[in-house]
Amino acid sequence: MDDLLREYLPILVFLGIATGLGLVLILAALIVAPNDADPEKLSAYECGFNAFDDARMKFDVRFYLVSILFIIFDLEIAFLFPWAVAFGDLSDVAFWSMMAFLAVLTAGFAYEWKKGAMDWE
Amino acid sequence: MQSGDLSIALPEIILSLFAMGGLLVGAYGGKDKLASLMLWVTAAVLVALAAWIGFQGAGTATVFNGMFTDDAFARFAKVTVLLSAAAVLLMSESYMIKRDLLRFEYPLLIALASVGMMVMVSASDLIALYMGLELQSLALYVVASLRRDSVKSTEAGLKYFVLGALSSGLLLYGASLVYGFSGTTEFAGIIQAAQGETPVGMLIGLSFVIAGLAFKVSAAPFHMWTPDVYEGAPTPITAFFATAPKMAAMGLFARVVHDAFGGVIGDWQQIVAALAVASMFLGAVAAIGQRNIKRLMAYSSIAHMGFALMGLASGTAQGVESMLIYMAIYVTMNIGTFAFILSMEKDGSPVLTIDALSLYSKRDPAKALAVLVLMFSLAGVPPMVGFFGKYSVLLAAVDGGLAWLAILGVTASVIGAFYYLRIVFIMYFGADESELDKGGSGILWGFLMASAAAMVFGVFNLFGIEGPAAAAAAALAG
Amino acid sequence: METIILFAPLLGALLCGFGWKIMGEYAAQWVATFFLFIACILSWIIFLTFDPFAHQGGSYSVQVLTWIESGTLVTDWAVRMDRLTAIMLVVITTVSALVHLYSFGYMAHDENFDDEKESYRPRFFAYLSFFTFAMLMLVTADNLIQMFFGWEGVGLASYLLIGFYFRKPSANAAAIKAFVVNRVGDFGFALGIFAIYMVFDTVNFGEIFAAVPDKADETISFLWAEWNAIEVICFLLFIGAMGKSAQFILHTWLPDAMEGPTPVSALIHAATMVTAGVFLVCRMSPLMEFADSTQNFIVYVGALTAFFAATVGLVQNDIKRVIAYSTCSQLGYMFVAAGVGVYSVAMFHLFTHAFFKAMLFLGAGSVIHGMHHEQDMRNYGGLRHKMPKTFWAMMIGTLAITGVGIPLTHFGFAGFLSKDAVIESAYAGGTDASALAFWALVIAALFTSFYSWRLIFMTFFGEPRGDKHTHDHAHESPMVMVAPLGVLALGAIFAGMIWYKPFFGDEAKVDDWFGMAEYHGEEHATLPGAAHAAEGDAKDDHGEKAEAAPPGQGAIYREDKNHVLHDAHYVPTWVRLSPFIAMLLGFLTAFQFYIRRPDLPGKLAENQAILHQFLLNKWYVDEIYDFLFVNPAKWLGRFLWKKGDGAVIDGFLNGIAMGVVPFFTKLAGRAQSGYIFTYAFAMVLGILVFVTWMTLSGGQ
Repeated sequence: MDDLLREYLPILVFLGIATGLGLVLILAALIVAPNDADPEKLSAYECGFNAFDDARMKFDVRFYLVSILFIIFDLEIAFLFPWAVAFGDLSDVAFWSMMAFLAVLTAGFAYEWKKGAMDWE
Repeated sequence: MQSGDLSIALPEIILSLFAMGGLLVGAYGGKDKLASLMLWVTAAVLVALAAWIGFQGAGTATVFNGMFTDDAFARFAKVTVLLSAAAVLLMSESYMIKRDLLRFEYPLLIALASVGMMVMVSASDLIALYMGLELQSLALYVVASLRRDSVKSTEAGLKYFVLGALSSGLLLYGASLVYGFSGTTEFAGIIQAAQGETPVGMLIGLSFVIAGLAFKVSAAPFHMWTPDVYEGAPTPITAFFATAPKMAAMGLFARVVHDAFGGVIGDWQQIVAALAVASMFLGAVAAIGQRNIKRLMAYSSIAHMGFALMGLASGTAQGVESMLIYMAIYVTMNIGTFAFILSMEKDGSPVLTIDALSLYSKRDPAKALAVLVLMFSLAGVPPMVGFFGKYSVLLAAVDGGLAWLAILGVTASVIGAFYYLRIVFIMYFGADESELDKGGSGILWGFLMASAAAMVFGVFNLFGIEGPAAAAAAALAG
Repeated sequence: METIILFAPLLGALLCGFGWKIMGEYAAQWVATFFLFIACILSWIIFLTFDPFAHQGGSYSVQVLTWIESGTLVTDWAVRMDRLTAIMLVVITTVSALVHLYSFGYMAHDENFDDEKESYRPRFFAYLSFFTFAMLMLVTADNLIQMFFGWEGVGLASYLLIGFYFRKPSANAAAIKAFVVNRVGDFGFALGIFAIYMVFDTVNFGEIFAAVPDKADETISFLWAEWNAIEVICFLLFIGAMGKSAQFILHTWLPDAMEGPTPVSALIHAATMVTAGVFLVCRMSPLMEFADSTQNFIVYVGALTAFFAATVGLVQNDIKRVIAYSTCSQLGYMFVAAGVGVYSVAMFHLFTHAFFKAMLFLGAGSVIHGMHHEQDMRNYGGLRHKMPKTFWAMMIGTLAITGVGIPLTHFGFAGFLSKDAVIESAYAGGTDASALAFWALVIAALFTSFYSWRLIFMTFFGEPRGDKHTHDHAHESPMVMVAPLGVLALGAIFAGMIWYKPFFGDEAKVDDWFGMAEYHGEEHATLPGAAHAAEGDAKDDHGEKAEAAPPGQGAIYREDKNHVLHDAHYVPTWVRLSPFIAMLLGFLTAFQFYIRRPDLPGKLAENQAILHQFLLNKWYVDEIYDFLFVNPAKWLGRFLWKKGDGAVIDGFLNGIAMGVVPFFTKLAGRAQSGYIFTYAFAMVLGILVFVTWMTLSGGQ
């Protein structure tokens, strides 16, 4: 039991440091940071959100859809990239596995396209 | 690549290809005009696969570098899952059409969820496990909020999604701990690493994994989503939630604790027993306060999961066998009960309060009798089959040295009998005549009657499921 | 054939009890009766043709079904056929068949039921047939468990039939009383069976009997002391017999049992069921012979009962109660005979008693029927002209029970031969107990004679008393009721004379009859097959005094040193005359009291008020029981009901069902807040608990 707790000592230390550092940074921002707002800083973002607003506001669900679709293809790239880099050394299995993955992805893409997920309206 | 590997997983592959193909056909073909046809075809495919798996030869095969196992246990679970999914699909058609909910994606999502479940029960690696689990869950999140214009349905879907994500997180965290201490994600490797002096960290990982699985089987205290989701989701979806995924999750549960942690039975036994007790009592006690039959069935299924977990908690092959038998019976009973709930309508719109059943026995004696049989069976009144399910898990618990658990189980089932019998009471001795519509879909009637008849005639030999269940248990814990 | 005898009454009971709605009441009654007559005829065939020497060990067994097989406890449904069984078969089936027939008349119109609306007759017949089945099960049993089944079966049937008039509170009370008092005895019987199984490791009669000599000196501890095992077993078995056969201190239920319809009294409470105890003692004779103290105890109890019941019988006014006490008394005779070791005589008296006592009851039933269910003898009188056939039947019965015959010969009514045999055996017993029993029995014989004649005189002679209307309408019973009386009269007259030799001849005769003689055959020839053949020739060669066969050989057993049967034939003449003289005295007193000076009984009762009250109140046994057992039991029952069941158990359950569970239900409902964070919080709490638990307890 003691051994177990001792193993976790570094974590405790890290916890302390993290809390302390966080507090220090927030306090530093309050004390040191200049506070001069200008219209550019206060204007809304391109996606239509206000820069300073409640975090729990409503937003158009279409943003959500787009971000989901984005993530899917983002991940696809993340998956494809190492595969592509090591392409020369890959076995048949690895090749066909990726083909299968792409096929599934393509089927999904075709479906979402046809369903009109890509249309803003 | 081992073409043999592919052939072992062929049912799953076929079903996924079918689902994707169906998606494209649906999207590019007639869209929702095809929905009805799609539903029937999907059901047919599910049944065909179930038959194929069921009559497939015996034996155990582990493929994909130990990630995927096909054994008697997996086959038993898969057959149950596929058949119940098909049954629920068929039951839902009339309801969905009437409510204008029948999208062509619906049967395909069920099919995809079924693929996920099949992978779950076959998984012999933490990664395969997670993949199956998520494939199933994602499909379920979507179908839970199938009725997009209903606040309740979307709420149900969202709650399920958020909490499901939390449970997935717990499970993943646990899996990572297990991986960290054993150095492998393969069950076969984990069980070896857990031999002898088991690291505490691994057991903590096991706790998290069990917590994640407990969420899927909706065991207390990870059950909270169940009543809300059951109530909010469209009734056919609720029926689906109550059957196939429960079976799959229990199967996965059994596989993890036995295949990966079969060496430390004493450690997980107590947790599973605690889950069982909490679920049985919570299910029994909380259901008493419910007047909405879907919420009531949610608590009922929580209690039933408690009983199934009791079999599992015994940690023996007998326990697994009893759990499988219990689950098969449970699924059958629930299909019948939901067939009835789906048929509860007044002036064409669904009614869900149990008070609406007042004196239903006069309105429709045959159906009332069938419901009576089902309720007795759910409560575990002999000679209905439900009693034998309970009996087998109790016996397994006693034989496994958990007599106290069995006693608590009996107590909980006594408390739980109250609300089942109250439904019967209301149907037969209620105050005023029920005004529910007569007749209704023939399919629903058929499922209701078949399920009730099974509860009566199954007492002779439980339709022979004991043999396969014993084989399945032997494959897992033998 | 044995199986048919056994199951015909059951079939009759089932068909009659469950099928009467289909076939109609009348047909149902006939079905039950028909099956019994079949059983009766077959029983007589068996009785008359049974040859113990045709079977190894003097008995054979017919396997019906396997019942229980658990370790060494093996019990079959089987018919053990030997002389005892054969005797009981004829007694049971004959009386039962006649009673069935008789009941057609007796139950034709019953004021306790509404003829229009209720069907009570099929129920009655079904019970009767069921009783017969259970009784047959008892006597044909080849092991103790099966016997116990029959034992309880007759108890059940008796309960149902005593309480047949379920609208009468007294009938219900009597039924419950019979049931409860019998439980006391049955408890003893059950303990006896357990003890036997413990000592012998079997419940099968044949195996037990064969093993008795080896176990004679074994001891078991019971009630904190070491006892001789056989003594304990026999004592416990006798407790059972006391309950069923209404011996003193467990007799109280029998007079009350007269609440049942009269045919029931004749069948169950006179001829058959109450003799089951005697049968049990005889059946277990190989054990009893090794338990001398218990035998003495049996003699004492038998003698006391014979005396006690006879004294009470003197003053009773209810016609059925007089006969009931008479039955009780006669059962005491049988036990005395069994106690001194002459089981054949006990069976002899059982056999003859069945005929004349059934007849007396049926006769009494006929009187009651004719007198519109009036049972008080004080309201009878002068009935011999109104019902001559019944009168003559009762006369024959009385002559038989009082023991009328030509002294010093073997010529007389059935009771004359069997009762004298009992009394002579008691004298020949040669122990203190049997000497006492002898005198008790002679005095009881006097009383028997008195009360029997008193019954006759009060009922059939003198002036009509009581309700005039009833007397005007008194009538002879129909043929179906009188015919059985005639048949039984034959038995009451001739049964003693015909079967005197086999039951109470010399030892060789008795041994032959009961199949105990094969042992000698084996001395002559070594082959068992040849033994039978040799036996036929050897029969006549037996000397005056045969050597005893080993236990289990034949139907009953007689120890080597037991010569009572032999000695009973050489008792002094005054002993042989004593019962006759007692009978004569009783008759003369009764004649004096009830014919010549009908005012005497009243005066005597006034003079001896205390004694009269004592007898009239049956020695106050019931009152003592009420004080000692019934009231405390009622108090305890009420306490457990109100406090234990009502307050504790109901309170506990109601508290859980209406307090605790709803509380948790509400709690669970509140927890289901609908907010995701609550749900997630619950999950996190759950995982926290699990992890803590695992950390603290796991991994060791």
